Amino acid sequence: MLVGDWLHAQTNAVAMSTSHAPTIITSERADFDLAERHAVYRSNVRVDDPQMKLTCEEMTADLPQSGGQINHLVALTNVVMDSVDEKGQTKHATSDKAIYDYNVVNGVTNETVTLTGNAKVKDGPNWMTGEPITFNLVNHAIHTMHAENESMIIYQETTSALVNTNAPATKTNLPPGTADLPLPKTNFPPGTIQNIDKNTTQSGTTTQ
Amino acid sequence: MKKMLNNAGVILSAVVALGFFTGGVCAQPATTGHANDFSSVEYFKPPHQMLMASRLSGVEAQPQGQLLLIKQLKLETFDTNGVPGLIVKAPNCVYDVVHGVANSPGHVRLETADGGSHVEGDGFLWRQTDHFLTISNNVQTVIEPGPKKKTGL
Repeated sequence: MLVGDWLHAQTNAVAMSTSHAPTIITSERADFDLAERHAVYRSNVRVDDPQMKLTCEEMTADLPQSGGQINHLVALTNVVMDSVDEKGQTKHATSDKAIYDYNVVNGVTNETVTLTGNAKVKDGPNWMTGEPITFNLVNHAIHTMHAENESMIIYQETTSALVNTNAPATKTNLPPGTADLPLPKTNFPPGTIQNIDKNTTQSGTTTQ
Repeated sequence: MKKMLNNAGVILSAVVALGFFTGGVCAQPATTGHANDFSSVEYFKPPHQMLMASRLSGVEAQPQGQLLLIKQLKLETFDTNGVPGLIVKAPNCVYDVVHGVANSPGHVRLETADGGSHVEGDGFLWRQTDHFLTISNNVQTVIEPGPKKKTGL
């Protein structure tokens, strides 16, 4: 996905790139350890790829042999990533750190970007936070896991919700925050009514 | 793959117009003059001591003390199979023969041997002893997309 020959997802499962445009990395300064095949881009780093744009303050890359592919990248400080999938859906992500990993194990391609440090992803109208947030670039899935309660928080953009509906707000007597409570466990078979006053029918009338 | 660099020193060789080079470690320029087809080679450590790790060459070199003013610099790196890896080119640079350091405020271009990717920028410093290149301004890396590989998925 990220950088052409060095970084493209090389898989038939999901063609990440149909474009033949090159990937361009610009920065003010760069250090190349040609013995270790390691590069560090510094200051105003920008990656322009057919699938995504990324900016950050510093980025390190393990350079491959000729004709190979970069399999590890680390972007640091003020990381901003914008991508468009094959359906045209945009994703906007920000974080302190982003790690790109690519490998093929037993014929299976693994390609991920992991965001940590104030990570946020805007996926369509939704904002997601978590620690870390992981993009699976092969199947386009996004996973997140909070360090404490293993959950993600998804916010829907208020503006788009208001603009896209004329329906009145649903009335409810439930206290705030209870709508998504899980159902209590029960040993009753499906359809069994429990905890109901035996003197009360389903229509609400009381029998004598 | 980690390359084992030869720390024994820089072995210089050149086809010299005025004969100011000698073979061996850190050859010193004997007189001011002019050299053509300059090259400086560094070898791997044993057991690959017969194989070149890198070669720094120039179309023209003019000595100034322990420095050489090189025109049309070309720096090549190789792996232990002798396969070319990366090529660095610069219109001109100053090469410190004793310390194996080249630098220039001018343009520099780094490209893979297969031509698939390249890096350009302005101003550079090259340390031959540890193969370390710094490009100090306006760095741009261009990577052409390669053919897709089949993964069986």
